[in-house]
Amino acid sequence: MVNTKTVRQKKNDRWLSVAFLFPIFVLIICITLIPIIIAFRTSLFETQYAETVKFVGLQNYISIFKTSEGWVRILNSIGYVLLSIVIVIPLGVGVGTLLNRKIGCRGLLRTVIILPWVLSQTVAALLWKWMLNSNFGLVTYFIEQITGVRVDFINSPGAARATVIFANVWNSFPIVLILTLAALQTIPKEIYEAARVDGAGGWRTFRSITIPMIQPTIKTAVLMESIEYFNMVTLIYVMTAGGPFDATKTISVAAFQEGFDFWHIGIGSSYSIVIFLLNIIFSIFYMKLLRSHDEA
Amino acid sequence: MKTKKSNLERNVPMNVVTYLLLAFFALLSVAPILWGLSTSLKPAAEVEKLPPVLVPSHLNFTNFYNVLFQSNFGVYFKNSIFVTLVCVVVATIIAAHAAYALTRFNIRYGKQIMFGILMTSMIPTVALLIPLYVMSVKVHLYNTSFLLVLIYTAWRAPMLTWILYGFFQKIPKEIEEAAHVDGCTKTMIFYRIVLPISQGGIVSAALLTSVYVWNDFLVQFSFTTQESLRMISVGLYNYITQYGVQWGELMAAVIISIVPIIVLFVCLQRKFVEGMAAGAVKG
Repeated sequence: MVNTKTVRQKKNDRWLSVAFLFPIFVLIICITLIPIIIAFRTSLFETQYAETVKFVGLQNYISIFKTSEGWVRILNSIGYVLLSIVIVIPLGVGVGTLLNRKIGCRGLLRTVIILPWVLSQTVAALLWKWMLNSNFGLVTYFIEQITGVRVDFINSPGAARATVIFANVWNSFPIVLILTLAALQTIPKEIYEAARVDGAGGWRTFRSITIPMIQPTIKTAVLMESIEYFNMVTLIYVMTAGGPFDATKTISVAAFQEGFDFWHIGIGSSYSIVIFLLNIIFSIFYMKLLRSHDEA
Repeated sequence: MKTKKSNLERNVPMNVVTYLLLAFFALLSVAPILWGLSTSLKPAAEVEKLPPVLVPSHLNFTNFYNVLFQSNFGVYFKNSIFVTLVCVVVATIIAAHAAYALTRFNIRYGKQIMFGILMTSMIPTVALLIPLYVMSVKVHLYNTSFLLVLIYTAWRAPMLTWILYGFFQKIPKEIEEAAHVDGCTKTMIFYRIVLPISQGGIVSAALLTSVYVWNDFLVQFSFTTQESLRMISVGLYNYITQYGVQWGELMAAVIISIVPIIVLFVCLQRKFVEGMAAGAVKG
């Protein structure tokens, strides 16, 4: 009697598990896994609009890695990610540390400084596009008043590169700040008091205690944001559409534009697969990092 | 008074430097938003003027009137709210069920399944847009709100499952065991006990989804072409491409589109930061 009941219970449980997990499995398979397989298949074909026309093997990939055009995009991606990271991380950690000091109006300052992070990339791009407008931009005007030079932030290649990175930093550095603040809460106060007794000043404490203590968080932020920046399309697309003269065209922007602006879905797909593979490599590092945290 | 003072830092020069730096960054954070707001409230003649007019000479709401009543922006706004709400509800329901099954149903390899689900959320969305376009045209879902909901839900559910998985694990098993002894079935325990006491986690998860959907550009840009289905991000983008840029109206539209998210953020800041940081760190 007892036995049959548990058997029935177990069967019932299994049914329930299937029912509870079924929707998420269907969604993941249809909207994430099948598409990546289709992207791989499409990347091996010559295409016309949404149709595959002729099997060309790795031809699309060769056109990325064997042309200067392809390499410019790869270098643009690397530059965009590296420069953004180099600015975002010290800025986030630095401002986070300042915000951790017990000063008046701390809550208000924190809210205001984090604000850009809740805005979309579209909005960030549009706000800065107007601030830096070549004719009537507020920043453009002040810079002209101070230096006597009118800079075209959006339409000259060098300046455009700096502009998209700047807008990206503005939009995304608060997440590093938030992670820093969270990490700082875990440092025991006694360590700081001991340092003060030993006569260590502010800068010395920051370098010898704060930085080493929050290093795991910094590493996580670097990897996480690298992945994010590498995959980023919207901000750049809205601000410069990859121009002028491909100066801001990263691989991700190229993948998107080849597909949706130029209808080269074969080449677009091969860019997509390259992005996918690089993400896997990034993710493996990321997982290793998270695991080493858990062990520590 | 005295105790309050002793709670604050006492190093005066350092405090001055801290304030100056933080004030600078606070200004940097809000300057573009304030400039956008100022632009949106200006009469047409003051928008494109040198030297720039910092504060409008008088408040003029023409831009807001035009955006809200003379353009399709109202439709986009409604669509964004609709799709966001549906996604929040559907994604949270799907994720909560999956997370609960994985924490409490003793599924073999439950941990590995959870990890696998989470891994799929690391596949970059840019890489999926082209194949999804091809697929959606074939099954006649292209240009439907249903497709948007499907995609947003599928892409957010794994992360939400992970967040709720962590949340459910922290609930003491004793509560559920006691309910079991009292004759509750597993489904009853889930709906009547676990869900109500998990409100905190569910709110964080819901916020995460709503910000994602509200702020997205790529999905709505790639999968809708009909005016009646458009959402706000593409609506904003279209101001750039149609006959030059009407900066006054564009900034009014930007301000309208960020009000809901800023209100949400200011009111629910802690939940916001918790949820988003959890999402960020783990995926």
